[in-house]
Amino acid sequence: MSNAVKDVGERLMAFLPNLRRFAISLCGSRDVADDLVQSACERALASAERFEPGTRFDAWIFRILRNLWIDQVRRQKTAGVQDDITERHDIAGSSGERETEARLTLKTVAEAITELPDEQREVVLLVCVEELSYREAADVMGIPIGTVMSRLMRARRSLAEAAGITQATGRSQSMKGANE
Amino acid sequence: MTRADFSDEILMRFADGELDTGTAAEVERAMETDDALVARVALFIETRHAAKAAMEPLLDEPVPSELKRAVERMVMEKTSPPSVSGAGILPFPRRAANESHRSRWLAPVAASLAAVVAGFGGYWLRGSVEAPIEGGLGVAAIGSPALDEALATVAAGEERRLPGSDQRFRAIATFRDNAQALCREFELDSDDRSTVVSVACRAGSEWRVTFAVIAPGATGGYAPASSTETLDAYLTAIDAGAPLEAAEEARALSELQGAQR
Repeated sequence: MSNAVKDVGERLMAFLPNLRRFAISLCGSRDVADDLVQSACERALASAERFEPGTRFDAWIFRILRNLWIDQVRRQKTAGVQDDITERHDIAGSSGERETEARLTLKTVAEAITELPDEQREVVLLVCVEELSYREAADVMGIPIGTVMSRLMRARRSLAEAAGITQATGRSQSMKGANE
Repeated sequence: MTRADFSDEILMRFADGELDTGTAAEVERAMETDDALVARVALFIETRHAAKAAMEPLLDEPVPSELKRAVERMVMEKTSPPSVSGAGILPFPRRAANESHRSRWLAPVAASLAAVVAGFGGYWLRGSVEAPIEGGLGVAAIGSPALDEALATVAAGEERRLPGSDQRFRAIATFRDNAQALCREFELDSDDRSTVVSVACRAGSEWRVTFAVIAPGATGGYAPASSTETLDAYLTAIDAGAPLEAAEEARALSELQGAQR
């Protein structure tokens, strides 16, 4: 019983840097992210019994944190936003001085990630950065695995184009041929 | 030939290691002779690597100490008893050697303890516990010759100051576990008022600590009730026998002494 709490507590402490990174990329602000991480830890400790040993701890806590974030965004929206907490800036220490030349100048990958639509950015974070499987990412976000793939596909095309990672082939983005 | 039949989705799954091995092998084979296919796969592999690399600096950022402390505190609060002066702490009366433990062993476990170490390896002895232990709690006596000596000689219900330390050793009970090993339940008080509630069992020629709870004790050296509840759960788990009567205990201890010589 208290062993579960102890176990989750230890994992949380060890995982703080990753958790914080995920939070920052979700909400785009370090201050908001730190509050979010704290709330997520609180929630995780309170429901430590529900973590099943043998399953991925990172997926579990990401899901908790993401759900809190979504609640928070919803609450802000319904409360009539005072200051826009979803406004993102300077995620990975980029300079932020990119304006009209955006089309001409290649962006850093970090900037390009920052500018992805929320739902694409988080799937990139979960799959490419945190190395969750499609299935695990789908569980964290509560969406079908096919949706994970289509978002991931779009996100990567945008990244490739924006940051000039490689020649985008311009091929069809159609998802047909999907055989799960 | 299957070439050109690969959809972008298949290639992305290939890059992400999400394809079954059969299909992955097909893609690999096709890539050997198809540069365009290689380029398409490269898009997915490179974006994955680039994204990971781009987010790496965030991981290197030190976690703000405020956040770290807040979480640490939370973990502590969840795993340790409420403050000594707080309501709800009832000093557990000192137990006599021959008092029956059975009924108490079924008590529910309180989730609030400073540190719980239970296991048969006695690893806590070697100081590998990672739980935050405030002020060191003076558990140095664990594993010391003075403690070994006390475990082998102090009768249940008696208290002794361990030579060479400021710790008081209190033997609570002696019993046998489900493997018939001789075990002793005891408490160690330190000057900082922390109390270690512990069980040590005989393993070969040495005492091995199999359970320890560190809890801030009340003045007068009684462990808070919550720690004894956890102990009770542990004793139930190892199927501990009823405490030995004073005479039985004396006999068991003297047998130990005899075996030692």
